[in-house]
Amino acid sequence: MKPGVDTSDSFIVHGKIALPYTYFAGRVGSKFLTTIRDQKKILGIRCNKCKKVYVPPRQTCDVCLEDIRENWVDVKNEGEIKNFTIVRYQDKHLPKKPPYVLALIKLDGADTSLAHVVEGVDFDKVKIGTRVRAVFAKETTNTILDIDHFEPA
Amino acid sequence: MSEKFGVKVEEIFGTMPERFRPEAAQGVSASYGYDIIGRGKWKLSVKDGAMKVEKTENLSGCVAVTKADPDTFVGVNIGKVDGTQAFTTGKLSVDGDLMALGTTTKMFKKYVPPKKELSTREYVLDMFGTLEKRFQPKAAEGLRMTVAYDIGGSEGGQWTAAIQEGTCKVAEGLSSEPTLKLSLKARDWVDLMLGRVDTMTLLSTARAKFDGDLQVAMKLGEIFAKYTPPGEEVKEEQELLVLKKVISVDQRFATGPVMGKFLKGLKEKKILANKCPKCKRLQLAPREVCAECRVRVEEFVEVGPKGNVRMLEYTYFASPDPLTGRTRETPYGSAYILLDGCKGHEIFAHYIRPDHLDRIQIGWNERKGTIVRPVWSEERSGSLYDIKYFEIDE
Repeated sequence: MKPGVDTSDSFIVHGKIALPYTYFAGRVGSKFLTTIRDQKKILGIRCNKCKKVYVPPRQTCDVCLEDIRENWVDVKNEGEIKNFTIVRYQDKHLPKKPPYVLALIKLDGADTSLAHVVEGVDFDKVKIGTRVRAVFAKETTNTILDIDHFEPA
Repeated sequence: MSEKFGVKVEEIFGTMPERFRPEAAQGVSASYGYDIIGRGKWKLSVKDGAMKVEKTENLSGCVAVTKADPDTFVGVNIGKVDGTQAFTTGKLSVDGDLMALGTTTKMFKKYVPPKKELSTREYVLDMFGTLEKRFQPKAAEGLRMTVAYDIGGSEGGQWTAAIQEGTCKVAEGLSSEPTLKLSLKARDWVDLMLGRVDTMTLLSTARAKFDGDLQVAMKLGEIFAKYTPPGEEVKEEQELLVLKKVISVDQRFATGPVMGKFLKGLKEKKILANKCPKCKRLQLAPREVCAECRVRVEEFVEVGPKGNVRMLEYTYFASPDPLTGRTRETPYGSAYILLDGCKGHEIFAHYIRPDHLDRIQIGWNERKGTIVRPVWSEERSGSLYDIKYFEIDE
């Protein structure tokens, strides 16, 4: 605080805004999530032109701009960590109680990475290249958390 | 009784213990209040994986209090009313922590109202009433025939379906020369249509009689789509996922000395502007620096409290109020008011008393708008809402 500034009138106002929102997963996103939920299986979508396999799936190839929404392929429930960070701050929107490992995981058979939580690994042991496998949630919520987390394979 | 959905508010609360899922309430220790307009108040207490719900007058200590009319409350609980929509339109309001309230939805299995079975008579009428609608022109292409239905018993009746050139007409009564005539009792007919019994069983036990072209009988399953009782939705081929949430965001706003002085002034029923030492214009609400001259502004002057309305607008969209988290009641009117002592653009924006809205005249140029005065809140905390609204000064 700058010396000489009178702060006797200053105070803090607490707001508590509430934001209702509706998120539609779309046809592609819905199939991806319901397959995880019902069959414990992870799907990707392949672009037939550039052969790239997207996980999470998308309906248009971002390189070729091809419509790829029908080209579903199975990918493995296992893959490797391509990058990671450790989330240490607490906030109520976070999917897990911190601290936890948030990683980009490239599943076998996919060309892109999926962001998810890795559990059961020491923070100082986790590294790029660590092999992990999906653990599916017992209670499903129709979200990506129907994969509860990944654990070392 | 919530007549609209045929479910009592008491049924929702009364079935809470059996719908409770202790595994979803682990680590939760809180009370939640429900204020159902005209029906009373209930308090739900959850602790150590156990719960208690009671009707009470005292909702103190609840982390969140949900207020709604009986129809809305029942509708949301049985899935007939969209909760998010009820919230945004203000039909359901929540005082307190919305996030905490969200956890209660996971703690209970959904309330399923006891199924009300239609009577045989109602089924028969609905089945023939929907027959034309269930007709599949593609499956009947090139077919020309009449099917007579002789449904016996006091609950039955007689109908004839005439199919030709891809159309189907259903009329009461029996055709004299049908291609096919089906005779069976009303109860058996209902069971057959609902899939509780099959044709072979009915025919072999002589409970049904088919006269005429039996080839036609074989095709009926394709010509008419399967009957579904009213209220039972037909499953969509692909399940589409929609996520509805209400997130709450914590906010802290530091007033600083200038805005702080303005807000504290409201607490004392004073509206303070500050005056630029260079250009002499007023700033309302006050700012630390004159936005035009860019010099520090130190002098405060009291303006108002009366003023005239320069512009008025109605808002119909129910948006959440960032200060309270509550959805604003709509429609509401907000006005730009030129308070006494202010001129030009030195206007002040606030709500207008709802029942005065249609008598407000706006001013322009030299012409004055309706004179209004502030109505102060009983309890003032140093907030813009220390003024409830402005009302016509009369």
